[in-house]
Amino acid sequence: MSATRTNPSANVDVAHALQRWHPIATQYDLEPRSLFRTKLLGHELVVWRADDGFVNVWENRCLHRGVRLSIGTNDGAELICRYHAWRYSNRTAGCTYIPAHPADSPARTITNKTFPVTNRYGLVWSSQDPQGQVPELSVLDGDTLGLRNLPVNAPVGLVLKHLATHTFLPSDVLAPGLDVVAELAAVEMSAEVSTYSATLRARLAGNESSAVFFVQPVDANRAVIRPVLGEAPFNTVAVLRHHAAVLADLVRDIERAAADIESRPALPSALEVPLELPTVAVAVGRSAPLRVSVRRKWAAAAGITAFELVSHAPDPLPTFQPGAHIDVHLPGGMVRQYSITNGPGETDCYRIAVKRDPASRGGSVALHDSVHQGDELQISEPRNSFPLRRNVSHTVLIAGGIGATPLIAMAKALHTNGLGFDLHCFVSQADQLAFRDQLAEFGDQLHEHVGLSPQETGEQLSVLLAEPSANKQVYACGPPPMLDAVRAVSSDQGWPADAVHFEYFKNTTELEQGSSFVLELARSGLTLDVPSGATVLEVLRENDVPIVSSCEQGACGTCAATVLEGDLLHQDVYLNPTERAAGHTILTCVSRATSNRLVLDL
Amino acid sequence: MIKLYDYVLSANCYKIRLLLSMLDVDYDSVLVDFYPGREHQTEQFRRDVNPLGHIPVIDDDGFVMRDAHAILIYLAARYDSTGQWYPVSDPRQLGETAQWLTFADGTTNTASAARLHVNMGYDFDIDAARAGAHELFRVADEHLWFRERQGESWLAPGDHPTIADLAVFPDVAMAEEGGVEMLDYPALARWIERFKQVPGFIVMPGVFPYGVS
Amino acid sequence: MPTARIDQIAPAVLNRWHPVAPLEELTPGSDRLTTLLGQHITIQVDDAGAVAVSTVSSPADAAARQLPTISRYCYLWVCLGVPDVPLFEIPEVAEPGRRVLHAGTIGVHVSAPRAVENFLDMAHFPYVHTAILGEEPHSEVAEYQVHVDPDTNDLWATDCVFWQPMAATTSTTGQLTDYLYRVPHPYCVILYKTSPIDQRNDVIALFCQPVAEDRIQANMFLCLLDDENTIGMIRDFQLTIFGQDKPILENQHPKRLPLDPRAETPIRADKIAVSYRRWLRDLGVNYAVIPAA
Repeated sequence: MSATRTNPSANVDVAHALQRWHPIATQYDLEPRSLFRTKLLGHELVVWRADDGFVNVWENRCLHRGVRLSIGTNDGAELICRYHAWRYSNRTAGCTYIPAHPADSPARTITNKTFPVTNRYGLVWSSQDPQGQVPELSVLDGDTLGLRNLPVNAPVGLVLKHLATHTFLPSDVLAPGLDVVAELAAVEMSAEVSTYSATLRARLAGNESSAVFFVQPVDANRAVIRPVLGEAPFNTVAVLRHHAAVLADLVRDIERAAADIESRPALPSALEVPLELPTVAVAVGRSAPLRVSVRRKWAAAAGITAFELVSHAPDPLPTFQPGAHIDVHLPGGMVRQYSITNGPGETDCYRIAVKRDPASRGGSVALHDSVHQGDELQISEPRNSFPLRRNVSHTVLIAGGIGATPLIAMAKALHTNGLGFDLHCFVSQADQLAFRDQLAEFGDQLHEHVGLSPQETGEQLSVLLAEPSANKQVYACGPPPMLDAVRAVSSDQGWPADAVHFEYFKNTTELEQGSSFVLELARSGLTLDVPSGATVLEVLRENDVPIVSSCEQGACGTCAATVLEGDLLHQDVYLNPTERAAGHTILTCVSRATSNRLVLDL
Repeated sequence: MIKLYDYVLSANCYKIRLLLSMLDVDYDSVLVDFYPGREHQTEQFRRDVNPLGHIPVIDDDGFVMRDAHAILIYLAARYDSTGQWYPVSDPRQLGETAQWLTFADGTTNTASAARLHVNMGYDFDIDAARAGAHELFRVADEHLWFRERQGESWLAPGDHPTIADLAVFPDVAMAEEGGVEMLDYPALARWIERFKQVPGFIVMPGVFPYGVS
Repeated sequence: MPTARIDQIAPAVLNRWHPVAPLEELTPGSDRLTTLLGQHITIQVDDAGAVAVSTVSSPADAAARQLPTISRYCYLWVCLGVPDVPLFEIPEVAEPGRRVLHAGTIGVHVSAPRAVENFLDMAHFPYVHTAILGEEPHSEVAEYQVHVDPDTNDLWATDCVFWQPMAATTSTTGQLTDYLYRVPHPYCVILYKTSPIDQRNDVIALFCQPVAEDRIQANMFLCLLDDENTIGMIRDFQLTIFGQDKPILENQHPKRLPLDPRAETPIRADKIAVSYRRWLRDLGVNYAVIPAA
């Protein structure tokens, strides 16, 4: 969901300013596990660095109920909102988990607004709609030193006017006991001022220092001066203190001048003006395949090859949750599903593992033999029919062979979230355990069961499924005989059926309630089948019928369609009793027809 | 057992609760109906607990003390065997600690006053209170920024927080309740998050924990 | 922010009773100023204890006028228009064995509907009221029911259940708590929750005084089954809960509640919030909200 926020009274200056890159933070502000709050041209932003080094710049507002994201938590992989603990992924800002509904995968449309980011001169730069590059200044080509940044309650123009006559001493001149005032009177300054920065050079007694004073426009009446010195002096602390002192004097002068002139009404924060409605992306049909390339291909274990797939587009790969899989379009026209093994925040690639199976229909062989590092592939967006619930204290993960792949992603998520788990990997031979190096971080929560016979496997399962409790759950993935064994043992041991979750690796999705019916679209003339277990929204998408959606839970009303004929089973929470009784509206993401035929005005 | 005359929303009482938690010293809270009951201003309270009519007050086995900062000094001196919270052995550290305790008096009269005005309708000059808070926060932000550049984390020099950090923390952490926007003080914000990670740290309503709740 | 003028405020808001002061603070001989719907008003209590409320004259409204008042549920209520809707009933206050009290009034820089919506929300309990009203991993919000009473037009949420470590001052252990929410007024909300010590419900209410579109005085009203705890302890519990909500509310933007369903992203657990926003729209409320497009 992209959102455009503009000040309705914006003039040309503001529009132009929105297209430039502006410095919004220093490297000092990107402490590990911190969230930095700043404001640019009236819009609040949150800036945070993930553990993998990626710097995120997002609108500082959770799209659930508008709470500032900057009061939340950065756990190194995700930003967790303080209000309801919704989790948002590094890079994509997509929601990966909603604790109020632990069994549901959040809709992909639940994504906060992101802004482009780049680093230069020790500063973090961003823009709402960048045209062009971050300023390049030759003065800062070599070593640099970030000086103390100061906020100032004055408009950018006034700040630059004063910066033009600012004075400071060259670094080499500074020594204890120096008469700074006298020396400042003698220093020779030259200044080059542009729209958002001033480059100043100070010369005294054969010494010279240059600095660029960048100015961040906070709003109409406030700015931040972000100076960078074009050298790395030996007397760092003395230089920092000197510049901080003279700049503080300048700020006092600027603010005094600002108080004298008639102040412009402050640019209203975008958070205070009525919001323009978010532009909900019209998803036409099933998402077009994504183009990725193989960044890396390697043997992850005996007979198992791993692939790292990276995005072709400048946009990051779509958000995924633990347990998700992608369709991979293979040479020869085959399509195969593979689980994403990445943990939370590991969002610069998708990492999959493929077992070479000569007896299969040929997909794995094609990947092993015909796809190489550097090659391009087409894949689908991640889909999740195996979401990880996190509202229990302990999860038992049972993996049979290559079935470990979705469970590795789950283990990483549970590990990052600080939740209890045990990962049991059943393999025929020890050298078949994939990603052994990554699994090492789980310590004694990882259990290998090597070369067990079916009977021994059953006995082992009886042990590890021995003590069901309301606070535990089981996820199992592997070949059908193994899953049948888990089902039988867990039932014997008294586990409730809804606490044990299976992914059959031959991709059988669990069927939900609802009978099938025929869907007729009056305007486009299409006749489609909606099978039991599929939603109207899904069927429309698969057939390239334009339809918008947002929460995909029946709560927000975005996916509503007009009903021309048919009896309805309303499963949403949005329509009121009158609307339901009237039967003219259906929320296509959750509701169905009870009649054989449903006719929509689409 | 120490008795603490306490009120859940009081920043000054919170300072005492914080130190007692960090020192791992047991105590009993006597809940004073400060607001809306104004129990601390009743004749009975003035007679039996504190003639000046304010909280916090502690009663340590008959030894009664008022004044949040004085109580912090006493508790640190009495119960902190490491001598780190109130560093009497190092004159410079001790001097700086005292300097920032007085700074905390300043935040009480500005940021905390603004908070009491907004929350409970106390009659203070709200504009002066807010302006005063901003002046103090600019000074503190610069001070902490330079501490960071020198590899240090706290208001006083040294690698351990002192009661100075403890005394300044609540008013800074809750300044926005009084309408003092904290956008301009990133070094102060980082110091807040560091302080929240000190072992024994506890929250109060209005202060979020470090990390997920 | 600029606030709506009195003549622009819809009758659904203007003609309602709004709380303006706790009765216990209206001592004889007192005189206080407050603001309601952007209008300054004075509350004067004579030596005999009689209360008179009038507007403060301003350039726009030259003559001060007296305002009708009622005293109910520990608060003084005032109407700036014509009070054509009687104040809602809370029959429990007349029951024997109940403690009826004003827990406190806290100023909050947010709109009344945002505060009401937060009061209606359970999903934040484990995260904002940790170890009191909720605790991980019990984060799931089970399906509940919402309806509008055809006779009173009150909005109700029923069959709400949530696991709570410490549901009330009288709790000694965690329990599954049943909740009923009732919205009888655009800016007031009442909670009926299982008492740990009785079959009947504790009644806890939030009555918001709309000072401005983005500012309230939040009044906390209690009608409890609790004869053990001191008033200090009861207030401590309520002020703890509200004190934890306050920074969340003050970090929400926009401050006024957006009524367009596409402005924010509700999920199934937000059923009552979705209904509340539609209910406000149906009433024609135009103050402290951002109307739908």
